[in-house]
Amino acid sequence: MNPPAPLDGQIVLDAMRQVIDPEIGCNVVDLGLIYGITNTGTKVTVQMTLTTPGCPMSESIAQGAHWALLGIAGVEDAVVELVWEPPWQPSMMTEIGRAAVGMR
Amino acid sequence: MLTGLMALTTGSVWMMCRPSMLAAYHYNQYVIALTHLFVLGWICSIVMGAMYQLVPVALETKLYSEKLARWQFALHFVGFIGMVWMFRTWNLKQVGHFGSLLTVGVGLFVFNIARTLRRVPKWNVTATAVTAALCWISLTILAGLSIATGKCAAESFDGSEANVGVVIGALRPLAGLVSRFDPISAMHMHAHLGGIGFFTMLIVGVSYKLIPMFTLSEVQSQRRAGLSVALLNIGLAGSFVTILLSSPWKLAFSLVTISALFIYSWELCAILRARKRRPLDWGVRYFLTAVALLIPLSLAAIALSWPGLQANPFLGQLENLYGFVGLLGVVTLAIIGMLYKIIPFLVWFGVYSKHIGRAQVPALADMYSPRLQMIGYWSFLVALIVISAGILRESEIVVRIGALGFFACIALLLANFGKILVHTAHPRITPRVVVRPLKPILA
Repeated sequence: MNPPAPLDGQIVLDAMRQVIDPEIGCNVVDLGLIYGITNTGTKVTVQMTLTTPGCPMSESIAQGAHWALLGIAGVEDAVVELVWEPPWQPSMMTEIGRAAVGMR
Repeated sequence: MLTGLMALTTGSVWMMCRPSMLAAYHYNQYVIALTHLFVLGWICSIVMGAMYQLVPVALETKLYSEKLARWQFALHFVGFIGMVWMFRTWNLKQVGHFGSLLTVGVGLFVFNIARTLRRVPKWNVTATAVTAALCWISLTILAGLSIATGKCAAESFDGSEANVGVVIGALRPLAGLVSRFDPISAMHMHAHLGGIGFFTMLIVGVSYKLIPMFTLSEVQSQRRAGLSVALLNIGLAGSFVTILLSSPWKLAFSLVTISALFIYSWELCAILRARKRRPLDWGVRYFLTAVALLIPLSLAAIALSWPGLQANPFLGQLENLYGFVGLLGVVTLAIIGMLYKIIPFLVWFGVYSKHIGRAQVPALADMYSPRLQMIGYWSFLVALIVISAGILRESEIVVRIGALGFFACIALLLANFGKILVHTAHPRITPRVVVRPLKPILA
């Protein structure tokens, strides 16, 4: 039997758009918090950061990302790694993210 | 937090019913009772409750003991209500008893936060400021208790050695020490220790962590931040001695404290200039307005600490105004600003954190009305100005009108916090958007 094919990265990003930073009111993808996605089809690993180290929402957001990944059809295991290097920069945001923080 | 809001509401009704408290000189039982209602009931209840939540968050550690915090709350609750009531009836013996309960509670608070600070992984300016604040609150409470106990022991001692009880006898040396200082100077020293040492120190220290967090910025100069905290400590240490001794050097140490606040404001401006989140929400605006009020407060401090000043009715009212703007202007506005961040966060965390990623949940700003926040902000400033004018003019009617406006602001605040609390009973959770079906990429 062939191993499952990797997911389309866009599907993972769409799932992660369900997760918001409640202080800013914008999703983690448009805020530019997603640093990397690796997947094997059934297991997805996401490397992400937060706007501030020591953010009180960090556990909730990471847990939310975990649930969002498990919500993708076919995904059986999800790992969310919080990383702080490189530090988050406003230049990482999309247009939607920039609008959410009033930078447009 | 609910205790604090109840005390604020009670205090604002009391101001409205008895405006003579602010329109006349402050050394009387009603003003002292009202001040302790605001300071212990409103400000300390909120600040201490928030510290149990915020210090672990701001310093990336865990609270040492929640059980100790619950015990402290019980002692604080009984202690402050008893103290306010007994100040009102001017029964200093009972003030001492209830004050002792409160002191035990503060001891638990200091121990709990100090043990929490020992777990801090990376020491920083916020941790230094919190540590200093713990030292100053300890000194404030001990000074207040010493003043009440000394005064009470002195009154209980009728001059004949035979009638002296064991406790009163033991407290005589303290009574002797307290009686060597001018009672008004001792009271002012006690007020400054708490107002600057605990409240202002925390506002400065915690904001170095929270304002960058809320505005997506960072401290621009650790050296400037550290200097502001160091100078605040030096200024207050000097003021402690010079106010107590009614020394002409008061002015010098007032200027040191003011320079600390100037450096703090400078750093705060730098943080705001570097922010990535451009619009300032109303919570942050409340806080920054509190900081801006430090300017008139500093000018009043210079005037009141000017050497050789002779007491007169206008100066008495200026002292009233100084205390009023300090507590109900600077500290209260800063607290309201932070509460607009803390209360939504706590409710969101309790109600929505387990649903994030599985359903659509509201953002913090969607949980209350920014319109009510804005109306509350402007009416608070108007009420503050009207009451200040009433204090300076010694006009009871003007103070009453201002207090009515102040009460209306508190009602708006409670209405908005009520909107946030509604989420605990009626959460706004909508099913999430379905992610499109899997389309594997063919190699």
